[in-house]
Amino acid sequence: MSATASPSAPFDVDEGVSPLRAGQGHSFLLRRIHSLSGIIPVGAFLVEHFISNAFATRGPGAYAKQVELLSGFPFVVGLELFGIWLPILYHALYGFYIWYRGESNVAEYPWTGNWMYNSQRWTGAIAFFYMVWHTWHLRFSGIHILSHPASAFGKVQLEFQNPLAVAFYALGIFCASWHFAYGLWLFAAKWGITTGDAARRRFGYVCFAVGLLFMLVGAVTMYSFLSTPLQRLEPGVSGAESFVMK
Amino acid sequence: MGNSKTVRFKIKRQASPAAKSYWEEFELPRHSGMNVISSLMEIAGNPVTRDGRTTTPVTYDSNCLEEICGSCAMLINGKARMACSALVDKLDQPIRLEPFSKFPVVRDLAVDRSVLFENLKAVKAWVPIDGSYDLGPGPRLTMQDQEAAYPLSRCISCCCCMEACPQFNEETNFVGAAAISQVRLFNTHPTGSALKRERLSALMGDGGIHECGYAQNCVEVCPKDIPLTRSIAEVGGAVMKQAIGDLFRK
Ligand code: HEM
Ligand code: SF4
Ligand code: SF4
Ligand code: FES
Repeated sequence: MSATASPSAPFDVDEGVSPLRAGQGHSFLLRRIHSLSGIIPVGAFLVEHFISNAFATRGPGAYAKQVELLSGFPFVVGLELFGIWLPILYHALYGFYIWYRGESNVAEYPWTGNWMYNSQRWTGAIAFFYMVWHTWHLRFSGIHILSHPASAFGKVQLEFQNPLAVAFYALGIFCASWHFAYGLWLFAAKWGITTGDAARRRFGYVCFAVGLLFMLVGAVTMYSFLSTPLQRLEPGVSGAESFVMK
Repeated sequence: MGNSKTVRFKIKRQASPAAKSYWEEFELPRHSGMNVISSLMEIAGNPVTRDGRTTTPVTYDSNCLEEICGSCAMLINGKARMACSALVDKLDQPIRLEPFSKFPVVRDLAVDRSVLFENLKAVKAWVPIDGSYDLGPGPRLTMQDQEAAYPLSRCISCCCCMEACPQFNEETNFVGAAAISQVRLFNTHPTGSALKRERLSALMGDGGIHECGYAQNCVEVCPKDIPLTRSIAEVGGAVMKQAIGDLFRK
């Protein structure tokens, strides 16, 4: 459409949003990999992680056995690298990129879906900073849990000596649960699994229940670490070992 | 708040696409049933600001005055909506009028919304000619398909759904809900579905359906109550089916 008014300065005229580049580019693939990675493998790992840690409710012995089982997997470092770390890193970094490109407008349009859109970004970011801190403390520094499963329970308990750390764990569990539960709902809507309005509402209740369940399991697990007498780490093992190899 | 016998407007003005914008206030006598477009008509008839200065009439688009042509969309108190159906009695004062923020301003409240037309072309939102001679009556739509298609056909190309969408901006160049919903409409049509594959492929391009973050503002602001989130889910599923199928077929 041709503009009508004076042809004064053709520069700094707002060009507006460009049309669809039909069938061009790679953003579809990258975005769908981001979407899928939230479920597999990152979501699947989250489920495994909550279940494994819930073994703490059955005492330090059961917890040590579960850690031993996981650390006894063949190719454990490869599994961690390609099944957990790289997918989370991709999902997180591309997630920040998606966030950067969106233009939040809840002030003008304060509706539930729009709030949830924003909550998906904030909970993702908080979960990201929590995970960096959490893996640094428990996986990459101090006593090496994979080679000393019996010390795993005590290591978490030592972490919980600081009330700020306990608070950060609670926040991290809350955000990861929220993000995963709403992520399930988003995935189903975007991939055309829940197409009808009623189906989306019904699945919303399911996801709400999943989120609550995760928060509950997380809380009960945290309580087990806090209420059990402090377990001693294995004697003779000090920190700063190789964290990659068993 | 002005006195209840009058109505106050704060209008964002811009003389040309490259000019700087500024605000002007107007005060009109209140009468029953007035809407934003009728108020703009009154201002055009007597373009004097609240502080008594004569100014240029405010430029705006409008045509049907019954929410069916789609031309009068603007930001009214910050929200995208149709000015002809925005009743003054139901709006907080002073009533703030601004042009759409994501479309190039032509002048005052009139913006260039041709990106929607370009997007409709990009997704081939039409029924193709099925032959150059008379093929007789076309295939019939089932009752169910008619009922699903009719609401989609009510789109008036106002672009409210795009303006309100957090993903529709110059970073993503997202196609927006209206064009996605039209893909569903024309893919439902028995003759229109000849272009189904091409439409779905188009939506896999940069700015395609994957940019939707499912904030659902589109369905809230749509003046024609088009089930946009349902369309996005259905077309999203069809796009995924085709993309995964193509991994094996192509
Ligand atoms: C606890 C680990 C995480 C899990 C299990 C997870 C899972 C998911 C799932 C299932 C989705 C839905 C897929 C979709 O909407 O397309 C999603 C979306 C999203 N995630 Fe994550 N995520 C995690 C961490 C993160 C992190 C660290 C970020 C970084 C900011 C992030 C940012 C996002 C964003 C921005 C979306 C929304 C995408 C959109 O609206 O289109 N996620 N996530
Ligand atoms: S659901 Fe949200 S992100 Fe998707 S088109 Fe509608 S407003 Fe935009
Ligand atoms: S879908 Fe609704 S909001 Fe979007 S252009 Fe059509 S009528 Fe307007
Ligand atoms: S003037 Fe036609 S929709 Fe408002």
